[in-house]
Amino acid sequence: MLEIKNLHAIVAEDDKEILRGINLSVKPGEVHAIMGPNGSGKSTLANILAGREDYEITQGSITYLDEDLADMEPEERAHKGVFLAFQYPVEIPGVSNTYFLRAAVNAKRTANGESEMSSMEFMKFIREKVKLLGLKEDLLTRSVNEGFSGGEKKRNEIFQMAVLEPTLCVLDETDSGLDIDALQTVAAGVNALRSEGRSFVIVTHYQRLLNYIVPDFVHILMDGRIVKSGDKSLALELEEKGYGWLDDLAASK
Amino acid sequence: MSKSLVYESGLGSLLAGLSFEKEPQWLADLRAKGNELHNKMGVPTPRNEEWKYTPLRSLASVNWQSGEPGPAVFSQDPTNYAETAIRVFLVNGRFDRNLSEVPATAGLTCMSLRDAIYEKSEVADYLGSVAKIEDHTFAALNSACFVDGLFIHLKAGAMVEPVIEVIHVTSGDEMVIAPRILVVAEENSSAKIIEQYVSDGESKNLTIPVTEVILRKHANVEHVRLQDESETSYNVSLWETLQDESSEYRAYNVAFGAGLGRLDQNIYLNGRNIVTRLDGVVVARGEQILDNHTKLDHAMPDCNSFEIYKQIIDDKATVVFNGKIFVHQDAQKTDAKQTNQALLLSPDATINSKPQLEIFADDVKCTHGATVGQIEDTFRFYMRSRGIPKAEADAILVYAFAAEVLELISDEVVRERLEKRLYKKLGIDFTV
Repeated sequence: MLEIKNLHAIVAEDDKEILRGINLSVKPGEVHAIMGPNGSGKSTLANILAGREDYEITQGSITYLDEDLADMEPEERAHKGVFLAFQYPVEIPGVSNTYFLRAAVNAKRTANGESEMSSMEFMKFIREKVKLLGLKEDLLTRSVNEGFSGGEKKRNEIFQMAVLEPTLCVLDETDSGLDIDALQTVAAGVNALRSEGRSFVIVTHYQRLLNYIVPDFVHILMDGRIVKSGDKSLALELEEKGYGWLDDLAASK
Repeated sequence: MSKSLVYESGLGSLLAGLSFEKEPQWLADLRAKGNELHNKMGVPTPRNEEWKYTPLRSLASVNWQSGEPGPAVFSQDPTNYAETAIRVFLVNGRFDRNLSEVPATAGLTCMSLRDAIYEKSEVADYLGSVAKIEDHTFAALNSACFVDGLFIHLKAGAMVEPVIEVIHVTSGDEMVIAPRILVVAEENSSAKIIEQYVSDGESKNLTIPVTEVILRKHANVEHVRLQDESETSYNVSLWETLQDESSEYRAYNVAFGAGLGRLDQNIYLNGRNIVTRLDGVVVARGEQILDNHTKLDHAMPDCNSFEIYKQIIDDKATVVFNGKIFVHQDAQKTDAKQTNQALLLSPDATINSKPQLEIFADDVKCTHGATVGQIEDTFRFYMRSRGIPKAEADAILVYAFAAEVLELISDEVVRERLEKRLYKKLGIDFTV
């Protein structure tokens, strides 16, 4: 589904190289966790997948469903099923979640040659999603993230993910700033959305999220490269030993 | 006044050619005063501080004629603009009996001003009592040449439920249209009024309305003005309100139209415990110039005023905001809050913003804040990452910026209409 080959990227503003040769292959239905210390480039990778313009790809390729992802506008990626759950979701006063999501869903449907959902159809559709994730209905009428707590913002990201029904879900430090209850709700939401055709790339600093969302693969990103890959036990090893023991490995690459 | 402060214009000779026969003496006096004041003040150049950012050169160069009655058939049906029970149409400043519908409503008089001048003796006391035409050359012109207008009177205790919709339609070219509006809300009365200024097609007129509003004790009035004339029009308006003790006035100015639009809106808080809202939404595109001067005049203690002006400026348009707040020596415990925010959508868009607070009392709370910004990329990217195309994302963000003011309007019908007009102005499909 997703093939990243020898990906190099810089910050557009100051030419600083952040990613220095990433290789990653994600198949349908798989959950990949990307772990790494601060500044390793993991959030950059997540944002590049969604098309943030602050970065520039200097080498390598990203292929998604046999298409070159790097050439697509952010909205085009969304239409083709890429979703990024933001580390810092944006507050949009004056725009209700319902309005926002209906605009998003209908933009996607239009781009994919489907007819737009009527207001009534859409309300029925999102109420089901609210129920699926065990959320409160007032979420629908509230302005997007306005005045939301950290936990509410992250839950809203997962809710949006549920509504947009993406094929590739990228979670950027979705666990940061969450207490254990919020973390469990968010994880339960993600688990409810796991399916054969849907893949996840979960970027996280800590192992604890992976207690609730069990990954198929764990990759350790340091200094812009994946220095080690393994199964879920690698995350536990990291939790125990920290990132220090990998310094030599990173230096040798 | 030295010649360099005024443009040559044909408006003086237009006035000289007017004659109004058999009018009451008080009205003849008002016209004479207006005539004299306009001839004295003329059409100001930018060297006149109050008109510094309102370029009137092109206005002065037009060969203006006095306003003729409107056509029998419109190019756009103006009845589409109204949807509630009480609707008044003023076509080229004249009360239109055929289009207007004013069902008998307890405590409400809503009639042609021209008729009211002859039939309602109180008009003589009120008309011209609030508008300070000596400070406004176009209001002086209006006083000299208005033909008709609207008189709204609310009896003491009258609670008028349906919104009073007033639709000003201008039709034709190169005419001076001078509607005159007088609203008197007696003690404990309440009403909601929306005035809409629209053009019949691409008419090219100069509309110079003068609106005077008087609120007696405990009166409660919501008053919305939508200026949505064609971009080939000029609109220079004076809107003044006098509030007595414990009254509440909520004024919303929504300015979308006219190539050159200028509004002077002044509210006099002339008793204790008054509540005033004076809010605005301005959207300017193309080469529009929209200038709003507001003044809140706190004369007495214990009054609250709130003012939010939101301005969206695209292309090569220019928007001006001048917000005066006067707090006189007696006006202790005044709480006045002014916020003025501009959103620039193009590098060629201009905003001139000038808050002007003059405070002569020592125990008051007065705040003001002015910000100028652009759409931030983080907002845009968030929406695009959800699949909303860039242009639509921008439109939604801009809409949300302005909607914060429209949401304050209490009447749902009016609010929804304005929101739809805002969508249209911003080019968004409002069925979303």
